[in-house]
Amino acid sequence: MKIGRIHKVNKVIAQSILLGLPTMALVGWFIYTGNNYYSILENNFISQTIYFSVGLMGAFIFYAYKFRFVTTTIVLALLLSSIYAGIKNIATGEFDAFFASVHFLIFSILFLIGWITGYGFSRSKIYTIFWTLFLCACQMILVSKTSDIKATAIITAFIPVLFYTFYIIYASALIRNAQDSIHGLTWYFSKRITGFFSLLLLLFIALFYLFQPEFKAIEKEWGGGQSNEGEKGGGSSKQQSMTHENEDGSVSNNNSMSLGGTLGKNKKLVFVAHLDNFFPDSITPNPLYFTSDYYTKFDTAIQAFEIDSLMPDNDLFKPNPSKIPLYFAKTDTSVITHSMASLDRQVVNAEVYKVLLSPDVFIAPATAFFCQPIGVPPEFKEQYKSAYRAKMWVSRLNSAYFIYNPAGNQALEDFQEERFQQLRSITNYNHIDKNFLSYYTSMPSNSDYDSIRILAREITAHAQSPIDKIIAIRDYFLSKDEFGQPLFAYADNAGIPGLPSASKLNYFLFSSHKGYCAYYAGATLFMLRALGIPSRVSAGFITINRSNKNPGWYWFYEDQAHAWVQVFFPGYGWLDFDTTIPDVNTIQSPQPDGTPPLNLQQPYFVADGKIISVDTLHKMINLAVNKLLFHDENFTSSIPVNVKLNIALASISRDTGIVTIQSLKENMHITAASYAESLKNILAQKGDSMASVIKKIIQPVPVDEIKIIDDVMQKNQKQQSNQEEKSFNKRQLIKILGVLALLLVLLILFFPFIIWFFFDMQARTAPPGNRKAFLINRSLHFYFNQFGYSRRGMSPYEFALSIDRQFGTKIITFSDLYQKMKYSNQESTLEENEWLRPFYESTKKIMKEKFSLSKRINAFLKLNRTFLFFKNIKTIHYE
Amino acid sequence: MNNDNHLQEAMEKIQALVENMGTVIKGKQPQAEFVITALLAKGHILMEDNPGTGKTVMAKTLASSISGNAEKGGTVFKRIQFTPDLLPMDLLGTNIFDDIKKEFIFKKGPLFCNVLLADEINRASPKVQSALLECMAENQITMGETTYKLENLFFAIATQNPIEMEGTYPLPAAQLDRFFLKIHFGYADDATELAIYKNYLDIQHHLDHIQQVLSLEDILFLQNQAEAVYIHPELITAVRNLVISTRVNPDISLPASTRSGITFLKCLKAFALVKGRQYVTENDFKTLARPVLHHRLIFRTKDAKDKLLEMLLDAELNRLNKLAIQAEPA
Repeated sequence: MKIGRIHKVNKVIAQSILLGLPTMALVGWFIYTGNNYYSILENNFISQTIYFSVGLMGAFIFYAYKFRFVTTTIVLALLLSSIYAGIKNIATGEFDAFFASVHFLIFSILFLIGWITGYGFSRSKIYTIFWTLFLCACQMILVSKTSDIKATAIITAFIPVLFYTFYIIYASALIRNAQDSIHGLTWYFSKRITGFFSLLLLLFIALFYLFQPEFKAIEKEWGGGQSNEGEKGGGSSKQQSMTHENEDGSVSNNNSMSLGGTLGKNKKLVFVAHLDNFFPDSITPNPLYFTSDYYTKFDTAIQAFEIDSLMPDNDLFKPNPSKIPLYFAKTDTSVITHSMASLDRQVVNAEVYKVLLSPDVFIAPATAFFCQPIGVPPEFKEQYKSAYRAKMWVSRLNSAYFIYNPAGNQALEDFQEERFQQLRSITNYNHIDKNFLSYYTSMPSNSDYDSIRILAREITAHAQSPIDKIIAIRDYFLSKDEFGQPLFAYADNAGIPGLPSASKLNYFLFSSHKGYCAYYAGATLFMLRALGIPSRVSAGFITINRSNKNPGWYWFYEDQAHAWVQVFFPGYGWLDFDTTIPDVNTIQSPQPDGTPPLNLQQPYFVADGKIISVDTLHKMINLAVNKLLFHDENFTSSIPVNVKLNIALASISRDTGIVTIQSLKENMHITAASYAESLKNILAQKGDSMASVIKKIIQPVPVDEIKIIDDVMQKNQKQQSNQEEKSFNKRQLIKILGVLALLLVLLILFFPFIIWFFFDMQARTAPPGNRKAFLINRSLHFYFNQFGYSRRGMSPYEFALSIDRQFGTKIITFSDLYQKMKYSNQESTLEENEWLRPFYESTKKIMKEKFSLSKRINAFLKLNRTFLFFKNIKTIHYE
Repeated sequence: MNNDNHLQEAMEKIQALVENMGTVIKGKQPQAEFVITALLAKGHILMEDNPGTGKTVMAKTLASSISGNAEKGGTVFKRIQFTPDLLPMDLLGTNIFDDIKKEFIFKKGPLFCNVLLADEINRASPKVQSALLECMAENQITMGETTYKLENLFFAIATQNPIEMEGTYPLPAAQLDRFFLKIHFGYADDATELAIYKNYLDIQHHLDHIQQVLSLEDILFLQNQAEAVYIHPELITAVRNLVISTRVNPDISLPASTRSGITFLKCLKAFALVKGRQYVTENDFKTLARPVLHHRLIFRTKDAKDKLLEMLLDAELNRLNKLAIQAEPA
């Protein structure tokens, strides 16, 4: 069973330390991770790692004695399998046997893996490659098991494996090739491995720095770096809204905000809102769904509904709060007209405090018409990036409770029934605008949609009024099949933002019966339009009343992103209806709600204008005020009025969060607000202009809040330049990489030629003498080697003879001379030295005549010959 | 200049010897050079090949070229045909009872000569072979209590048939080690073969009328000249490396000894002189490595026997070839 010689002890020790320990550590880590995902491993990774290590070390020592591998391993495997079979039969209880045998199975597998690895390390040349590939595959499987795959997670998972891969391939080759005869083996190994490590580290660091921008981009894309830096979040949101053209992505500053898709499982707080809407008892809060967009127009290209800014009677108020100066309001009352609702309407106030929500986004319950950015109270500044106040024209019929599926709640059903009764008065849409009707009921007709039409008619066969039809559709989704099981189920699928296409909806309605809110909303929309009921999909956030302590305050988490249907009732306007069947998992956010950011501050002085000068030392700025809000009175002036502001106590913020005083630059557009009590008693008189008001105020005005407003132009430019830079960088990088690759290929291709060029140049330029003879000899040897005439196995004389016979050169003369120069104790004569030069030139000439250009090119492309030329012949070999 | 003159003289003598041998035996110049190398290195040579390839003729030619009238400064040449029934006494000599003096006197055997041709050495029994041992190594013969010194010049040319042939006793390793060189004769090439056939009568004629070209003193002079040949330290290192590489190689069960290394160096110097040089070259190293070392080594496998030495040699040649010319050693 033994072959060859036994390994030296120090070699085995080197193997155990240099190969064994890192392998054990990595495998231990793998087993530890594996334990988290596979219940069969039963969470005892320490003993499992020990199994592996015992196998590894055993094989190291065992195979150091040069036992044959196949026979010994087969014997071992047979032994283990027979014990395994034995355990199965012997164990008393069925259950005991199972666990004992499974435990033993894990042991045997790990032990055998360790055993084979130990053999591979100590004896096989290529085993490390297979082993590292195996480990990489294992790591891939483990990484794929993790629920949230992030760039950072992947990199941290694979860098150790890659590091190990490089290391183990190098180190095992090093140990295998180390000669027993080398003295100071420890020093030899430590020297090499330290060198290798530093090189590897350098490489990784270089790679990291080189690809840092790319890495960050990837990180952003994968949502890995959800950091607190406002800068980043804002940046990504801009891109988001750019790329998605304000489709649903704009709801949040995060890509993961789909219409209640899987990624919405992230329980991150998006915003907090206070809604001043109560039931008539004025104690019970009446929540309303928050709308951000409407999907109205059918796009034949993507076979789905999409956002259309040109929808008739556009009642969507979509200001950009970050563009409105702090405390200055933007109002669009045309929304109220467009809502075409005169019955049961009231104005409701809302305050929205943004956390993750993009500063550009305005979100409020339906038919908002007023937006006023407000300051965040100082103690909440860290938590909330910005805030605004909104007012909307809300139907009394609208309520989250009204549009919830009642799902068996009697009180809710009664509440809904009461309101349905009111809506039953509307029986048709005969008296509304035809254009309006045709737009909101348009739906393409082909077989896909016809089947939806037929289904809609079937479901609503007994319903008369539009409201009954809606209820029928809702009940259809809640219906049960013949086995008493719910027909439809809520299922989280990875959703692309936007509504699912018609074919997907067909699949949902007729086959899978599983989907998330966008599927229910989309399907309902098709069915309603099929029945001629004007309707649209509304996207936004579901509002859940969880806070008993703070009535009217609502917390919105990512998983509350939602889509539902709005139906138009003449006189009552658009009303929300949610047909999504309840899903306990997604609606209940477990987080306790925090303290509401109660805003008690009253801004007495709000100035909007451009900075003229900044004094960072004394914390003063000069502001050219264009617009002034003083005690809620608005003053404007065509000529800017200069005001000196004391910003020592001011909190300075951007859309993206709090910034430092250093961010204030000249010519910057800012809004400064002051809550100072000293201003409370200064009142503006009738007929005061802005200049006169400012004169009354004692300067410098102490400012509490400064909001920097990035101009649209500036913002766009910044963004563009960023993008350009990035794309330019990418292009440049690709170009550089391409050129580098090309150069590398060229270098490899011309490698023999470059060497020949170098040798030839050296031989030609060397001064006559021994050195020249050596260089000529080397150059000629290389040249002939490239043509396939290797000296291998021949003495210099024999080689020269074979060449001379073939080409009629005079290498023999040269060879004899060279040998004399090299080995004799006599000085070479002058004639001999003089003879070298013409000899070299003439030989080259002869060779050029003998070989055509194509043959020469061909010869100089033969890389393998070059490598053979430089390869040292191994004199000592084992086995 | 004295040195140059000596070299010139030595060269001429060697040249004469080679030419002389060439008149009788054609197309065997390399073998003739090896034989002369062994002679100049103060060693012995073993020639092995099938019968009828000219081994004996070569030996006889050499002997005739250097032997002659002992009084005229010629050498004494003896030839022994080894047979299975040959006894050591037949070589060394015997003690004979002298009737007149009433005592035993020693009758010298054929070993007491300058040039000995031991023909078909492997046909004799091992005891006869070992009888040769002492005289080849020490240049002396011990009979009973008396030790007899051999001549200043004792050069043994042995021929043998390949071991595989019937009726042979393989030479023991110790015996083989005494031979500086072991050469294979080989058949002549086609053209030479034809030339030989055309003039086969001449062979005997030339052999009978061969001229003595070297005297005993000449040979001793040449031997001294050979020892003065310069050998570069790198080449000595190369010899060392080659010898050591046979020791660390697991395919060689009996590696080269230190004595074989010394022999190698001696032969290198002699060969360089035969080639007309005052210095040893890589070519000499390559040419002599097999004749000097191969018969001393015992290989584990046939493959190793055929190729391994060449492999080890080539590694060393590769190293030498890449070596830049060193500055003159101080």
